[in-house]
Amino acid sequence: MKYLAKFSLAAAFSLASMTASAADIKVGSVAGVTGPIAELVAPILAGRNLAAEHVNAQGGLLQGDTMKMVVADSACDPKAGVDAGGKVVNIEQVVAIVGASCSGATNGMVQSVTIPAGVVSVSDSATAPSITDLKDNDLVYRVAPSDSYQGRALASHVLASGIKKVAVTYATDDYNAGLAEVFAREFKNMGGTVTANQAHEPKKASYRGELATLAKGGPEALALFAYYGSSGITIIRNSIENGLFGKFYAADGMFDKSVIEQIGADVLRGNIDISQSSSDYDDVSYKLFAAAISAKGVNPKAPYAAHGYDATFLMALAIEKAGSADRGKIAAALRSVSKGPGEVIRPGEWAKAKKLISEGKDVNYEGATGIVDFDENGDVSGIYGINTIGADGNWQTKLLK
Amino acid sequence: MEQFYGYFLYLISLATMGGIYAILTLGLNIQWGFTGLFNVGIAGFFAIGAYVSAILTTAPSIRHLGGYQMPYAVSFIAAMLVSACIAWAVGKVCLRLRTDYLAIATIGIAEIFRLILKNETWATNGPRGVSMIPKPFETLPEPWNQLCFLALVILTVFVIYLALEVAHKSPWGRVMTAIRENEIAAKAAGKNVERFRMQGFIFGCMLMALAGAYTAHYLKFIDPNATEPLTTTFLVWVMLIVGGSANNRGAVLGAFAMWTVWSASEILASRLPDELAIRTAYIRIFLIGFVLQIFLQKYPKGFLSETRPHPRAARTPGYSEPE
Amino acid sequence: MIEFANFYLIPGILLGSIYALGAIGITLTFGILRFANFAHGESMTLGAYISFTLVQMTGLHPLMVMPISMVLTIVVLLFIDRYFYRPFRKSHAIMLVMASFGMMLMIRSVIQFFWGVQVKTILPGIQMPIVFFDTLRLSPKHIMIIISAIVLMLAVHFLLSRTKIGKAMRAMADSPELARLTGIDTEHVIRTTWVVGGALGVASGVFLAIDTHVETMMGFNLLLPMFASAILGGIGRPYGAMAGGLIIGLTEELSSYPWIGTEPLLNPGYKAGIAFIIMVGMLIWRPTGLFKGKV
Repeated sequence: MKYLAKFSLAAAFSLASMTASAADIKVGSVAGVTGPIAELVAPILAGRNLAAEHVNAQGGLLQGDTMKMVVADSACDPKAGVDAGGKVVNIEQVVAIVGASCSGATNGMVQSVTIPAGVVSVSDSATAPSITDLKDNDLVYRVAPSDSYQGRALASHVLASGIKKVAVTYATDDYNAGLAEVFAREFKNMGGTVTANQAHEPKKASYRGELATLAKGGPEALALFAYYGSSGITIIRNSIENGLFGKFYAADGMFDKSVIEQIGADVLRGNIDISQSSSDYDDVSYKLFAAAISAKGVNPKAPYAAHGYDATFLMALAIEKAGSADRGKIAAALRSVSKGPGEVIRPGEWAKAKKLISEGKDVNYEGATGIVDFDENGDVSGIYGINTIGADGNWQTKLLK
Repeated sequence: MEQFYGYFLYLISLATMGGIYAILTLGLNIQWGFTGLFNVGIAGFFAIGAYVSAILTTAPSIRHLGGYQMPYAVSFIAAMLVSACIAWAVGKVCLRLRTDYLAIATIGIAEIFRLILKNETWATNGPRGVSMIPKPFETLPEPWNQLCFLALVILTVFVIYLALEVAHKSPWGRVMTAIRENEIAAKAAGKNVERFRMQGFIFGCMLMALAGAYTAHYLKFIDPNATEPLTTTFLVWVMLIVGGSANNRGAVLGAFAMWTVWSASEILASRLPDELAIRTAYIRIFLIGFVLQIFLQKYPKGFLSETRPHPRAARTPGYSEPE
Repeated sequence: MIEFANFYLIPGILLGSIYALGAIGITLTFGILRFANFAHGESMTLGAYISFTLVQMTGLHPLMVMPISMVLTIVVLLFIDRYFYRPFRKSHAIMLVMASFGMMLMIRSVIQFFWGVQVKTILPGIQMPIVFFDTLRLSPKHIMIIISAIVLMLAVHFLLSRTKIGKAMRAMADSPELARLTGIDTEHVIRTTWVVGGALGVASGVFLAIDTHVETMMGFNLLLPMFASAILGGIGRPYGAMAGGLIIGLTEELSSYPWIGTEPLLNPGYKAGIAFIIMVGMLIWRPTGLFKGKV
């Protein structure tokens, strides 16, 4: 069956290249459309679609083929992730996948579907360290850096800003629990003191009791690992209203405009620092992306929207580089377009990239989130920004060096 | 041709998940269809099976309890036994309750299990889940590995189905029906109602654990999100009601039919423009609720209605079917 | 000690009164329509979302628009009762439980479809608490919530003890057969039950929204503690539900108080489990509840 399949693929492909007419090349776009992080998904999908739009507006893939993103819902649930992966790989016959969003859904999807099927995937928001360990035949990539990096970056930032004692609280979900673990370990290793480290169940109405306990032992600040919607905002509100904590350090699950809208900029100014796996906002690559996505009415700083763009754009480059919509060749090409040597390609510069590749030259994508060079595990090291509230009542980002 | 091969692979995965849901639905059918126990804690027993089997078979890991690397047969049996013990304890407490109290109690217990899985990080890696779970037949080439796994699932469904058919027609099954229909009469006939109910509950929970174990190996990964109630409890209930409760064939049919609807409806949704596709995801959930309402009101017996077990011997004079 | 009052006792009372208002609706439907209404949490969510939209449109305080959202939610509930629950009046209660089950999914997905899944605030900003006697901290909105909850509970008391329909409701909760024999218009009583339960549900949803925010799962997250409150108080006993709600709310908050040493007594990650443990314990030792409800 497999040989037959390979043969027929080759036959079908040679047929397609003979006719050389514009067709669709489908790329799976797997995301947690429903489920616990549904509120974060819309900007990520907007980022992915913008990249596909850039590709299609500037000559398309290969022989002018349209890059078509096929959405499937992984619901942040490995069951749904496997089902969604199976559908895009087998029914839609996508050549590659961008996604899935959550680490759990990604873990299930790649192990059960895409690795056996030989389909390459780039996740834009799966951050669990366990994904690094997978025996993935070089098929699993991500542009979202592993939590190990962000936890360390935030810990050193807290110490650098003169805080030596913190209390840690985290929501019991895959993302925040992992991040908190790394943060607490690194913070201690760097010489800080963690006065308390406490889990909390998300989506409760009040966290006053938990906060009162956390406030004991003289912590100077609260390190808060939570999604803004499910518990983060409530915790900040409860802390400030009751005078328990005034200073907060948080990670990118908290990075949203609604934190400012709901708590108020004046109360929070100078009192909250949110680390974010982000972009160098002064970088020309980021600016290109930001201008393009702002024109769509999407906030360029929305969590993982830039990652969605980069993952999709890299996939398009890999398809172009592979020279055919062949799954195996795309997988082989992906790493080489992500890093040097080669001419630098920035967001939106599809026509330039297409020309270079057609001339047989190497390209090196430098994306909205940074240089996105895949290492041997398919991970990127990523860069981090610290968001604080500026005079205009909006988030202001400073890059962490 | 490539497209047809794709359809073929998708059908395999559809049938595999359908089969796993059929095991869940058969388990629920023992509890609800035959014994009349309203268990809304399916997700809890599913989770127990999944985690026990996952932890027993994985290689050592710094992230969770493990490294026992037991053979699958052992881990499947262990999953069922652990689930049986917990079901016994839960049953001791809850089975005396009226049906809707039992519903509330079991949904609560399933939530407590989920809290334990999320908080006892040393054993379960907490919310981050257990990864790199081995999968039976995974060393075979594509698509044979998938076909063999499917064969395992289908064979299991078939064996359970046969066993339940025999049980349903046996004196044991008839007592079960009697208890469901008229508990007092069954008591008066000298049957130990409590014990029979407990047996029904435990057997059902064992099957749910087996389905959980299969899922963990099939996905090669398990986390608390995989045991959320929408797709592990509510969907199973809809499957049983649609297929026809108290009918094993109905339960299996309902599982395959509803899983196909659930999974395949998304293929249509993904053809829509994005903004619509995102919202359509919620319409799918709406439709599941609506299908349930339609079946409850118009076809309360489901696709296949109950077949009453009849004793082979001549009926006792004056005996009539209890309604 | 004052810390205990500020951070554990008062939040417990606040949470308890939100549970209590919701639990009254559950216990009334449980007692009069004789089924566990799984969709009750969703009617709270719906009420909160309607209020949110009204606040956005009018700019008024959530409490001012609450009566309108109560009316709108009740209309929806009566419609649902007519077309989805009424066909099962004569069937086994389990059919109703399942119907409410399906309804829970349907209402929630409709809310998610129309309003989206973004978290929304009904009352933005921070309100600094008023400090009494130098130590006791009470936020104005919390005082408002607790007072409104007390007013609503007194109204329920008045309705049940002084009005004809209230007495009919109590009679029907005690014994539906007997009530029917004495010529009580059962359909009228059922409609009133939805009106009362719905209005209180909306109130608890809006209070929760004022205290925290509006979110599509808010009602479902409260459903199980509310069931626990209703069972604790005794099914069909509105006063029991009030007491049960307060007890559950308080126990949840107090469970993480460092009673022994400086660590919380119970890992707060398990807080959500408290309600069930109380409930299961109650079901074992005293299934009729504190106020001798029905089993």
